[in-house]
Amino acid sequence: MTDPTSEPAANPAGSESDRRAELIAAALASDLSPAEAVELDALRVVDPTVDDEIASLGGVVARLGPVGTWQDAPADAALRDRVESAVARDGSSDAAERAEPAAAAATDAQRAERADPSDRAEEAAVAAGAPAPLRGDASAPVVPLRPRRSRRVALTVLGAAACVAVGVGGGVLAATPRDAHVAGPPGTLGAVEHVAFAGEPSGVAVDGDLVAHTWGTETVLTVDGLPTGQAFSVVVVDDTGAEHESGAFLGTDVTIDCRMNAAVLREHVVAVEVRGADGVEIATASVPSVDA
Amino acid sequence: MSLVVTRPGTQEGSPMSQPTPGPSAQTTSPQTPSTGLDVSAAFAEHGSALLGFAVNALRDRALAEDCVQETFLRAWRARASFDPARGGERTWLFAIERRVVLDVHRARQRAPLLVPDEHAPELAAPAADPLERLGIVEGLARLSDEHREVVVAVHLTGLSYQEFSDVSGVPVATLRTRCFYALRALRTHLDDGENLS
Repeated sequence: MTDPTSEPAANPAGSESDRRAELIAAALASDLSPAEAVELDALRVVDPTVDDEIASLGGVVARLGPVGTWQDAPADAALRDRVESAVARDGSSDAAERAEPAAAAATDAQRAERADPSDRAEEAAVAAGAPAPLRGDASAPVVPLRPRRSRRVALTVLGAAACVAVGVGGGVLAATPRDAHVAGPPGTLGAVEHVAFAGEPSGVAVDGDLVAHTWGTETVLTVDGLPTGQAFSVVVVDDTGAEHESGAFLGTDVTIDCRMNAAVLREHVVAVEVRGADGVEIATASVPSVDA
Repeated sequence: MSLVVTRPGTQEGSPMSQPTPGPSAQTTSPQTPSTGLDVSAAFAEHGSALLGFAVNALRDRALAEDCVQETFLRAWRARASFDPARGGERTWLFAIERRVVLDVHRARQRAPLLVPDEHAPELAAPAADPLERLGIVEGLARLSDEHREVVVAVHLTGLSYQEFSDVSGVPVATLRTRCFYALRALRTHLDDGENLS
């Protein structure tokens, strides 16, 4: 198999389409000579797909802008060794885990009163935006990359895009809106406004803040005690009774800290509700009215 | 020990599978005869492209290498679910890496920034959608080296075809044709990504 783009002159049967490709590529780069411009115009007359192709590929070229510069990065033997070591270690670790489940359970039991605090520590690190769990030691002969827990951590990193788990390292959340420096009465842009939720079932605790923005209203929730794995939604109710979806989250066995946004200005918000998947209210917060 | 990375012009959408023997004979890495995932061969075949995606997506070589490692780890763990009939090994690995890079990208976005009071907290939205950029970067990384080089030279670096021809020694006509097909491959990748999203 040959690369049809590498030797166009050696393929007379394809020379016409190659010339079409050449002219289009040149046009996309503003690289046409005057004679080629005339040639392209003539081609357009007999081949109306040329304009479509230029428009379509021109769209691709336009989308290259955000890439900036390109850095070539050939993978080297050191990285290959890291990868192979990590895979080999992963296999042996799984075998060890199967062979010694009691030891693993004992280790977990020693750590804390919670089921698996190490995961929370990792989640807390993720909450701080730290990519540390992925940061291996390139010089290490065997890469210590969480051989047993990386699957869960990886999922947790994704979850962190919307929600932040507060675990043993809760102090890392110092930059949440609760600590913003803007102050003012409810409705002040960027200011954090605490709201009290009521109606939670026994064992469930919901606490929250609102933050007024020019583009809507942010809800910051701290939730404990909701059943793990079940879906819940947050709805913001405005002064006409209309409901605005703010977001959704899954219950988990750790305290969660969740930020969501609704496309309604704070001045129109009258209530925030947390609901179960079946629409049943879990907790409701009535919020004070503010002047526009 | 040196590794010769061979990536013989594998192109986007190419039906070519890669049973390349690679350097696996000189290593002791795990293999699974039942699924055909040979980590050494897969790394030799796709490692540079995967690293290119991560490096240019994250702008952090060390973090990018971690992503490549995590990609192969996840692939290894999921090797039983790999179905060559649903796409090539390269497509499968990139799909895994896309999730890894996105995880890291999002986690990094959550990093708290310490800013003076007067600059907090009503931040303007970023001008460009970062996910859009990740998609383009992945598309470029998945091109063959020849295709990517000409797109980068002409459309990112801003060289004329003649200037790049002078540097590379490749005729202008060939470079133009190559760029045409590279942009087509990129368009296919972007269209596929939008269909998935």
